[in-house]
Amino acid sequence: MYRASKDLQDYYEESRLNTRITVIQVLFGAVLVLYLMAFWYLQVVKADYYRKLSDNNRLRRVTLAPLRGLITDQAGRVLTNNRIAFNVRLDREKVADLKHRLPDLSRILGTSEAVLRERLAKARSRPRFEPVILKEDVDLAEAAYIESRRLELPELSVEVESRRNYLYGPLAAHLLGYVGEASEKDIKDHPELGYDLGEIIGKAGVERRYDVELKGVKGWKQAVVNSLGREIEEIDEGRRATPGHTLRLTLDLDLQRTLEQAYGDEAGSAVFLDPGSGAVLAMISRPAFDPNVFARRFSQDTWDAMDRDPRHPLQDRSSLSKFAPGSVFKVVMSIAALEEKVAGPERGDHCNGSWRFGDKVYQCWAIRKGGHGYLTMREAIIQSCNIYFYHLGNDMGIDRISKWAHLLGFGEPTHIDLPHETAGTVPDPEWKKVAVPSDPVWHPGETISVSIGQGAIEVTPLQMAVFASTIANGGSVYKPHLIRSIEVREGVEEENDQSMLVRTLHLNPRTLSVIKDAMWGVVNEDGTGVRAKIAGRDVCAKTGTAQVFKASRDVDADKLPKEKRDHAWFVGFAPRDKPEIAWAVFVQNGGHGGTTAAPIARAVLERYFQKQDAKVGAPQLASASAPR
Amino acid sequence: MQARRHLDNFDWILFFAIAVVCAVGVGVIYSATTGTPMAGAFHRQLAWLGLGLLVMLLAIVIDYHTLAEFSYVFYALALVLLALTLAFGRVVNASKSWLGVGGFQFQPSEIAKGATILLLAAYLGRERAPSDRPGLGFVNFSSLCGIVGLPVFLVMMQPDLGTAVTFMPLLVGATFLAGIRFRTIVILALIVALALPLAWSHLKPYQKERVKIFLEPTRDPKGSGYQLIQSLIAVGSGGLLGKGFMAGTQGQLQFLPEQHTDFVFAVLAEERGFLGSLLMLALYFLIIYRCVITARAARDGLGVHLAMGVVCVFACQALLNIGVVVGLLPTTGVPLPLMSYGGSSLVNTLMSFGLVLNVWMRRLVN
Repeated sequence: MYRASKDLQDYYEESRLNTRITVIQVLFGAVLVLYLMAFWYLQVVKADYYRKLSDNNRLRRVTLAPLRGLITDQAGRVLTNNRIAFNVRLDREKVADLKHRLPDLSRILGTSEAVLRERLAKARSRPRFEPVILKEDVDLAEAAYIESRRLELPELSVEVESRRNYLYGPLAAHLLGYVGEASEKDIKDHPELGYDLGEIIGKAGVERRYDVELKGVKGWKQAVVNSLGREIEEIDEGRRATPGHTLRLTLDLDLQRTLEQAYGDEAGSAVFLDPGSGAVLAMISRPAFDPNVFARRFSQDTWDAMDRDPRHPLQDRSSLSKFAPGSVFKVVMSIAALEEKVAGPERGDHCNGSWRFGDKVYQCWAIRKGGHGYLTMREAIIQSCNIYFYHLGNDMGIDRISKWAHLLGFGEPTHIDLPHETAGTVPDPEWKKVAVPSDPVWHPGETISVSIGQGAIEVTPLQMAVFASTIANGGSVYKPHLIRSIEVREGVEEENDQSMLVRTLHLNPRTLSVIKDAMWGVVNEDGTGVRAKIAGRDVCAKTGTAQVFKASRDVDADKLPKEKRDHAWFVGFAPRDKPEIAWAVFVQNGGHGGTTAAPIARAVLERYFQKQDAKVGAPQLASASAPR
Repeated sequence: MQARRHLDNFDWILFFAIAVVCAVGVGVIYSATTGTPMAGAFHRQLAWLGLGLLVMLLAIVIDYHTLAEFSYVFYALALVLLALTLAFGRVVNASKSWLGVGGFQFQPSEIAKGATILLLAAYLGRERAPSDRPGLGFVNFSSLCGIVGLPVFLVMMQPDLGTAVTFMPLLVGATFLAGIRFRTIVILALIVALALPLAWSHLKPYQKERVKIFLEPTRDPKGSGYQLIQSLIAVGSGGLLGKGFMAGTQGQLQFLPEQHTDFVFAVLAEERGFLGSLLMLALYFLIIYRCVITARAARDGLGVHLAMGVVCVFACQALLNIGVVVGLLPTTGVPLPLMSYGGSSLVNTLMSFGLVLNVWMRRLVN
C-alpha cells in the first residue's frame, strides 16, 4: 500500500527536488527557444533563398525541339524534310513481370527477345515512369494495330515524333550529310551552340555546316515534377520553338538524278559547277549511303558497319579524298609554260615512246606504237603525249609548275561550305623537306613525274572542277558553294550574296584560246574524250588516267584486278565559247578516263542542255538557273 | 461524489493541448500522404488515435497508486512481449521490432517505454525508512540501471537503436531528480573506465561499426545529407505564412523523405510557415509546462517521478526530432511524439499523458 511519503521528506529535500524540476523545465524551454530562433532564421531570414531552392526542386524546364529547316534544290524542290515517325513504347510501370511478358511482346512486335532485352537494359538507369522505346519507326498499320489494342496491351503506347527524312535516299548523301544525337564531344567542341545531350543535330555535310540555320530555336515550357522527375502538371509559361530556316541549295535535282543514274556502281566522285559563280549544280561521291538510317535512334550498329565497310561509303570522295591528277595536269603544265613564256603554242617536239633522263627511262603511253612522232602543244594535249610534257616540265622546273598549280587552286582548300576538306598536295622542294624527312632532297626525276600528273601530286575532284571552271570563265577562281538562298522568314529569302571570287588570274587571251581549243580537240577531233562529244555543244575536256599500279601501262586494263586499275578522270566545260557548266568526273580504278568517265559527263551535259533548250521556250523561267 | 471532484480537478489545458497537437498531426499526415503509396496512413492514424484516447481514459480513471502497485506485472509483461518480438517479430528495415496479432501490428518497445516509466516511478516513489540518507546509493542506482537497462537491451537486440535511445532520458532525468551520492559517482566512473575498453575489445567488428554509426550518425552519409537539405528547403521555403494546406511542394512532391514520420514537422513548417511552427512549438512547450506543474503539485514522490518521467521521455524525443528538422542535430530516425505517423508510439504517448493527468487529478490529499 502506498502512503503519502511527503511527510517523510524534510523541507530541504523538497526544495532541492523543486530546484531540479525547475532546471529540467528551463533546459527544455531553452532548447525550444533555440529551435524557435532556428525556425525564424530559416523561415523568415532565409525564406527567399529556400523558396528559390524549392522552386528549383519542383520546376523543370522542358525543352521543346524545333522542326529542322528544309533543304531544297535550286528550284525549290524539297530534298530533305521532316516526317512523322511512330515509335512503340513500353510503360514499365504497367508490367508486373517483365520477364514473362517479353516473349509476348516479341511476338507482337516481331522483334527478337534479345533486341528487346538490350533496349530495356539500356533504359535500366532511367526512372521507371519514363517509357522505353521498344521498336522505332513502325509503319502506320503497326501503329494503328497497337493503338487499337490499348485494352489488351495497356503497357504499350505509340509515340509520334518528327524525324529527318531524305526524300531521295542516298541522292547527294555526302553533300546533304545526316543528323544524329549530339554526343558529349559535340557539346564540348561547340559550347557556343548550346547543344543538349541527345538533341538531334547535323553530323555531316550541309546538315552539319548549316546546323545553326537549320536547327531553329529551341522552345521551352515549365513543368512541375516530383522527386522522381515525373511531370505532374504543366505551367502556362514558356516559349514556342521556332522552326529552322529553309536552305535553297544551288544543286539542280534533275542534273543530280541524271548524274546518280549515269554513275552506276562505280566508286569515285563527280562535281558539276556553274563556272560563272562557283555554284555547285551536281555533286556525287560513291559508294554512297542512305542518310535516313542515321535519323534513327538505334543507328550505332549501322554506323559501325558502314565505318568498317572496305569500300568506305562514308568517305566524301569529292573533297576529302585526293588522287593523282594524271594527264589532266598537262593542261596546268601548258598554261604555266605559256604564261611563263617557257614555250609558245607552236613549240614542237618529237615523241618516240620513251625518254632516258638520268639513269631512268620515262615512257609515253604510246610506246607500243612507237611514239606519237612530231607534235605541237595542241596536238600534245589532244594526244596526251607524255614525252612532250616530260621535256616541257624539265625546261620549266618544279618551282614554276608548283606556282601555277597553286594559282589554279591545287594544294589549297577550295573553301567549299562543307565541314571538312583536304588541301591535296602540290609538291616542290620546300614541301619535300617537311613531308619526306628521310629523303629531303628534290630529285629532277620527280619534276618529270609531276609533269604528267603522277608522283607526289594529289588533287581532289572538287579542286579539278574548280580548275575546269577557271579555264571556262577565263581566269577567275571561284569558291565552290552550295547555298543559293536561305529563307529567313516565312516567304522571305536572303540571297547568298557573299563574294565567291578567290582570285583573278589575268591570263593571256592567247593562252586561253590555245588551251580551250586543245580541250575542244580532245572531245571533237578524235582525241581521248570523243565519247563526250555532243553535236552543236562544243564540249571541251581533258581525260586523265592516273596510274595506281606500276605495270598498268603494259597490261590490258581489263585483265587487272579492279583495285589495281588506273583512276579515270574527265575534266572539262561546255560550251567552248560561252561556258555554262564545268565539271570533273573521277572514277576510282575506272581505267581510261575517256572510256568510263566521259560517258558520265555526257549524260549530265545532255540533260543540262535539254533543260536549257526547254527554258528558251519559256524565257520567264530562265532566270532561275542563269549564272549570276 | 468523488468522480465529480476528480472532474473538477481535471487538467483541461493539458488535455486540450494534447488533443490539438494530435489533430494537427493527423491533418499533416493527410496532407503528406495524399497521392502517395502511403495514402491510407491518415485513416489508420485516426483509428490509432481513437484507441489511444481509450487507453488514456483507462490510465486516468484508475488511481495511479493502484497502477504503480501492478507496475511489476506491466513491466514483466512488456519484457515478455519484447522477448516474443525477438523470436517471432516481423523484420522491417533490417530490425525486428514489430509484433503481429492477427492483422494487428504494434511495436512492443513503445509499450515497454510506458511500463518502464511506471516501474521506475514506483521504485523511486516507494516508502523509505527514515534512516535513509537522501540521494541514490550505489545499490539504488544499479537498480535504476537494471530497470531501464533490461528493456533497452532487448530493444537494442532487435536492433532498434533509435527507440532504445529514447529510454535514456528516463534514466538521466530520474537520476538527476533523485540525486546521486558523490561516492556512487566515483565508483561508477571507475567501473566504466575499466569495463569499457574490455567490452569494446570483445565486440565484433560489425557491432563496433554499429556503435560508431550510432554515436556519429554522419558517418553514414548515404541519404542523410539529402534528407537534411530537403528538410531545410521545406522549412525555409515555407516562409512566414506557409504555402497552405496540401500545397507544400517539398512534401507533396515527395522531395522530403519520411514526410509523414520523421519529417512531419518539416511538412507542417512548409505548409503553415513560421507562424505554424511558432504555434506548434508553443503547444509542445505548454504540454511540457503542464507536466512540470503536475510534478510540482503531486502529492507524493510517485506522482513527481511519474510526471517527470513522462515529460523527460516526451520532451527529449520531441526535441531530438525537431532538432533534425531544422538541421541542428544529425539524422536520428526518432519520430515526433503525438504528430508522427505510427500507432504504437501514439497510443503509448497518450497512455503516458493519461498517467500525468491522473497525478494532477489526484494531487490533493483527501
